[in-house]
Amino acid sequence: MDIPAASNPPLDLSGVPRLEDIAFHPVSDKYRQMRLAMWGAVQFFAAAAILTPFIIFKVTGEEELGAFAAWWWPLGIQCSIAGVWFAEEWLGFPRRGYAVRERDITYRTGWMFRTTTTVPFGMIQHSELSQGPVSRMLGLNHVKLFTAGGSGNLRIAGLAEEEAQTLRAVIEARTRR
Amino acid sequence: MTSDFATPRRQHPLGMLVLAVKFTWKVIQSAWPALVGLSLADAQWYHLLGIPVILGLIGAFAVVYYLRFHFHVASDALIVERGLFQRERLQIPFERIQAVQLFQGPVQQLVGLTGLRVDTAGSSGSELELVAIRKQDAEGLQLLLRSQMASPESATADPLSGEAPPAAEMAPMVELSFADLMKVGLTQNHIKNAFIGFAVVMSLFQGFEDRLSLWLAGLPPLVLTVLGMATVLLIAPGLIMMAVVGVVTSLIGAALNFWKLKSAIGAEGVQLEMGLLRRNVFEVPFDKVHLTEWKSNWLRRKFGYETLRIRQAQAAGAGGLRVFIPAMEPRHRAAMEAAVYPDIAQGVLAEARPAGRLRWLLFAGAILPALAVLISPSISHAILGLCWGAFVFWTTGRRFAAYRMAVHSNAIVLESGWFWRSRTVLKMGQLQGVEWRRNALLERRGIGHLVFHTAAGARSFGYMHKEQGLRILDFAINQLHSASPSAPQPAA
Repeated sequence: MDIPAASNPPLDLSGVPRLEDIAFHPVSDKYRQMRLAMWGAVQFFAAAAILTPFIIFKVTGEEELGAFAAWWWPLGIQCSIAGVWFAEEWLGFPRRGYAVRERDITYRTGWMFRTTTTVPFGMIQHSELSQGPVSRMLGLNHVKLFTAGGSGNLRIAGLAEEEAQTLRAVIEARTRR
Repeated sequence: MTSDFATPRRQHPLGMLVLAVKFTWKVIQSAWPALVGLSLADAQWYHLLGIPVILGLIGAFAVVYYLRFHFHVASDALIVERGLFQRERLQIPFERIQAVQLFQGPVQQLVGLTGLRVDTAGSSGSELELVAIRKQDAEGLQLLLRSQMASPESATADPLSGEAPPAAEMAPMVELSFADLMKVGLTQNHIKNAFIGFAVVMSLFQGFEDRLSLWLAGLPPLVLTVLGMATVLLIAPGLIMMAVVGVVTSLIGAALNFWKLKSAIGAEGVQLEMGLLRRNVFEVPFDKVHLTEWKSNWLRRKFGYETLRIRQAQAAGAGGLRVFIPAMEPRHRAAMEAAVYPDIAQGVLAEARPAGRLRWLLFAGAILPALAVLISPSISHAILGLCWGAFVFWTTGRRFAAYRMAVHSNAIVLESGWFWRSRTVLKMGQLQGVEWRRNALLERRGIGHLVFHTAAGARSFGYMHKEQGLRILDFAINQLHSASPSAPQPAA
């Protein structure tokens, strides 16, 4: 019986481009302000929701506070969550960034939960710029990239207006075949 | 007789009947809680008059729907015009078609017609169904679409001529006899199926719950007490019944899904046919396969079987087409993988195993239930806890050793599981993205998870050493780029 010899040359991986070697562009510093403002607003409303019943009982002079007497429990939990979240925002923000290579784009995010995702331009189905009222006020724009199946979708948030336009143009040009 | 698909045409006239039954079934499905409520209320005989009125309306709707439904094949797309009040023209380009599936529900089997379903990778709801065409028409259309979707340019047949290209040579693969079918049924997850079985029974009897409680309320208190005490005696029979229901549900489920399963493999794809009430014919071209998963449990392996799940690109939010083939033997797997992933035979370029830390995490996760003995310490509980600990200690090593990633020149193989074993294979050339994910604690220890985003969903290999993980990530991206025909050039 003839056994066909499979061609199996050894691979030299030293020539494969390394993702670690590339430099990341940071996102706009205004986006940090926006995220911190968001953090502040959420904390304010959460604290208000926890404290309101207590204040009402105090003002109306009710004797029986019932379950609300232990108001420091939820407040304590909220404070610790706020602390972890703040650390994530403060330490994680400098780590946010994107890097464009000739054939792919990489986005890095997070301090506690870190991800580095690479999406090849050839697989991008379409891209989108999105902007809410607050980001419009700050002149920020978010670039969304969609891939088939949806699990590889990327959202590069908090880019300055012109930067987002440029990035999108670059992506569109390289996606078109 | 060759069929002409070039001019707009209707389905087979008996399609009106098929559509009427389909719509009636849909109405029953969406309205049955109301129907049960009505039957329990003070129903009068004249309420029954509503039934022919509703059936008449559904019938009229089916006739109009049939008359307004046209389909034809243009030079580059399948075109369907439909709609009662709002006309809708669906244009499905051939290259977007993921799979063409033929099916025969009970009504189609009765009238000897076939349905045809086209799945696309677009947004959800973009799949299309023709419910009633003649079998040879359906097969002709399927062949035609298959030859077009693979490579529109190189297709030999002109879609407008109505001539279907000859079927490629197919070699038979799995064919289930009745005994095999029983084996497949017996090796399913009976506990899960027992719950499904009970859920079905319960939902059927939900309407009678009120009647039962009414009947119970009418009983004398003494009888009620005796009945209450008697329920304790029902625990053992209840467990046995649970087991019986589980096995029976498994067998029924296997029979419904995999009745007379026949499959064949060719140079370009697999073909399979299965099902009792609804008979499905699937055709899956290899270049539209984004993931293959091999699953087995201990018992199924004892019979020498594995289940193959083929996953194609999924639409956003929808599941995408998933084809299951149970009872794949090792030789079938070899044939399948040789066809879809020819590079696997060329050997492994790199092999990865998770970091030792995962062993401790697996152990810690499994030992947790044993801590329950601390709630009420006693000798018997301590013995139980020790037994569990020994069992966990014994299985953790095996579970840990089962994690393995093999990198070939285009395929990546992910293996895991000891009792429930799983093997996932994907192509680097089809990846939609690659991700390196870790938390700050793992980062400090130089460990992370490698996530492969495919068009059929994400699959990951966890707790890798950073150095190795990033090297494989770089290699995967490199292979992905070299698989695409040419570097996309920026437009001038």
